[in-house]
Amino acid sequence: MTRLHPFTLLTIAGALPALAWVLPAPAGAAATAAVALVLTLTPGASPGLTGIGSSPGWRPGLVVLRAALLTAAPFWVFLLLLHDVPTTIAIGLRITTMVASFVWLVAALEPARLVEAMVAAGWSASVAYLFAATLTAVPMLKARAQRIAEAQRCRGLSPRGGIASRLRALRALALPLVLSALHEVDERALALETRGLRPGIRRTTLAPPHDPVVERAARWVLLLACPAALVWRLL
Amino acid sequence: MKSLTLEHASFWYPATEAPALRDVSLEVAQGEIVALVGALGAGASTLLLVAADLAPRVTGGRLTGAVARRDRSGIVLPTPWTQASGMAFTVWDEVAFGPANLGWPAHEIARQVDRALEQLELVPLASRDPATLSGGELQRVIIAAILAMDPGLLLFDEPATELDAAGAQMVWRLMRRLAGEGKAILLATSALDAVPDVADRVVWLEDGAVRAVGAPDLLADVAVCEAGLGTSVATVWRASGLPGPYPPTVAHAVRRWR
Amino acid sequence: MIPALCFDGVTFSYGAVPALEQLSFSIAPGERVALLGRNGAGKSTVVRLVAGIQQPRDGTVWVGDWDTRDCVPEQLAWRVGSLFQHADQQLFAPTVRDDVSFGPRALGVGVREVERRTDHALEDLDLTAHAAHHPYDLPPALRKLAALAGALALEPALLVLDEPTAGLDRALSARVIRALLERSAGGVALLVVTHDLTFAAEALDRGLVLDRGRLECDEPLAGLLGAGPRLEPLGLSPPPVAALSAALDLPDRPVRAADAARALARVARGKGAP
Repeated sequence: MTRLHPFTLLTIAGALPALAWVLPAPAGAAATAAVALVLTLTPGASPGLTGIGSSPGWRPGLVVLRAALLTAAPFWVFLLLLHDVPTTIAIGLRITTMVASFVWLVAALEPARLVEAMVAAGWSASVAYLFAATLTAVPMLKARAQRIAEAQRCRGLSPRGGIASRLRALRALALPLVLSALHEVDERALALETRGLRPGIRRTTLAPPHDPVVERAARWVLLLACPAALVWRLL
Repeated sequence: MKSLTLEHASFWYPATEAPALRDVSLEVAQGEIVALVGALGAGASTLLLVAADLAPRVTGGRLTGAVARRDRSGIVLPTPWTQASGMAFTVWDEVAFGPANLGWPAHEIARQVDRALEQLELVPLASRDPATLSGGELQRVIIAAILAMDPGLLLFDEPATELDAAGAQMVWRLMRRLAGEGKAILLATSALDAVPDVADRVVWLEDGAVRAVGAPDLLADVAVCEAGLGTSVATVWRASGLPGPYPPTVAHAVRRWR
Repeated sequence: MIPALCFDGVTFSYGAVPALEQLSFSIAPGERVALLGRNGAGKSTVVRLVAGIQQPRDGTVWVGDWDTRDCVPEQLAWRVGSLFQHADQQLFAPTVRDDVSFGPRALGVGVREVERRTDHALEDLDLTAHAAHHPYDLPPALRKLAALAGALALEPALLVLDEPTAGLDRALSARVIRALLERSAGGVALLVVTHDLTFAAEALDRGLVLDRGRLECDEPLAGLLGAGPRLEPLGLSPPPVAALSAALDLPDRPVRAADAARALARVARGKGAP
């Protein structure tokens, strides 16, 4: 999976949700959701995600699938509360496709390769870096959250207990994460300037990802499939 | 030849009344190492940001006076982990990030990166994932990353805080070598005992202004010791009641003792 | 008497990478111990084992009479106050005082006791003037002191600190030294990981030196810090005061600044001022 060109990965992650919403439910949405969930099982998920939050009983290859399912689950609950079963299934499958595609993308797309691909395609280094930085944010924040959780537990914070104490615990974990991350945004902007990220300079690509014709063709097919499906539905 | 010249520079951070730098005049020549010493908050870090053209351009705020730079500058911040790109697979890629951003040709990048890795004794770590490095290893990687951009003016803000004794020694020795190659180096440090062996000149900053400038034996000066900024040897000598001038290092003390 | 901390044949690895090998030592209440060694020697691993974040693969870590295998970190907070690296990132409360009092409140001690412990910790580190400030309004060095105050406020029997003076200038390090000496005089045991041998000489008595996960030395700092030939293979070098004592052959080879000054004065009087 990671050997695919980053633009291919982006196209797949964008086309699947688009098709999910355009194709008739429940069959179309179920198909795209199934495809997206199967994608989460493919090898090549970034080490950053598989190393964290692993619990016994889940094989490493299932971590991404687990993340996708856990993220999508609350939406199903809300939908059940608001709608009848057929609508719930229809919307739920579409949301599942979106969530699974995004989670898979974060796991499979390596930020460095995305930067190389974008710069090779003519984008400026700063813009490419901005896109890629949103991907690295997740594992970085997860690592920091773990460090903060450890420090707070060593001060007596217990993750167990009733609702009130769990909410307090959440505050003691979430606030430092947000505050230190926000605080660091300023420092990061400054720090990245020190590494030469300046507009107007053409960055050298050291290892531009291979982009075979087959993949480029496949991307166009996928991109065209979305408006084509829309047209088919309207007629 | 002067690499950096500040003339009557004053700087205010945004929305702050008190200046972080007050009327600072300073020169750093090529091949020279100048150390900035002072209490926390005295303005050393700010001075380095001004020298690096990051203040006020990126930080905001107001600068008065003149700053002249002859060479490209590179700065190593006291929080090296913020300078990591966050998207390099290996240490080699991380060090190559800067030169690649500068748009250099691939063979030139390779040359600079290999040289920087050797200078920082990082060759055994070249294929490691930067996310798995210890604080000290990452600090060395960031120093290599800045060196790889081949700046003529090097600005270091507490470059040894995460390093062990051997690592710190290596960095001080490296600085002397770089100065020997013609680089201009401005260093902010609280490792006062290392300064006499590293720096050619010392600038004492207090409340954003230059209080004194001199050779490294400035750190054995009475007023400096009284301010708590003397070297350990000078401080002990003074506390023993022995007369001045106080020796800044063990070697000086041994010579005085005979 | 039960030691405040005891490592008994502790072995630990991160996956396949060995970190600690058969590590054994014990620390009595009131003892002040420096944990020294190169980067990567295993020092931070020791801190994580004491705090209960990790469990040993072999051997046992005893905090008092508790086996850390039977405890979770929030339980160990009753006996251990820890300070990790980058502690300035753990602050979250609206004021420094609120953050420092987080520990004792989480332990569930009474309101008045929480106040007493918080005030004591803030005073020890001279932070009372900043007690009402937002932590992120303070420079990183003072945030670090606030995090240390948070550990002190737990009033634990054992303090385990990872590089408490990194990033601090002389004046702030002096505050830390004073606070630690005062606590240990009250019976608190200290285990401090540090590269700063000058700080170790002033604040601590005994040195444990790790090299590649093994304990290479366990002896008083007074003798260890001046022994250049023994320190070098371990990646350490004598701090200036110890080096001065050795070079001038001062009696008793003092490693602390005040002791060295006195010895210097005595010897100078003896031989006539140089």
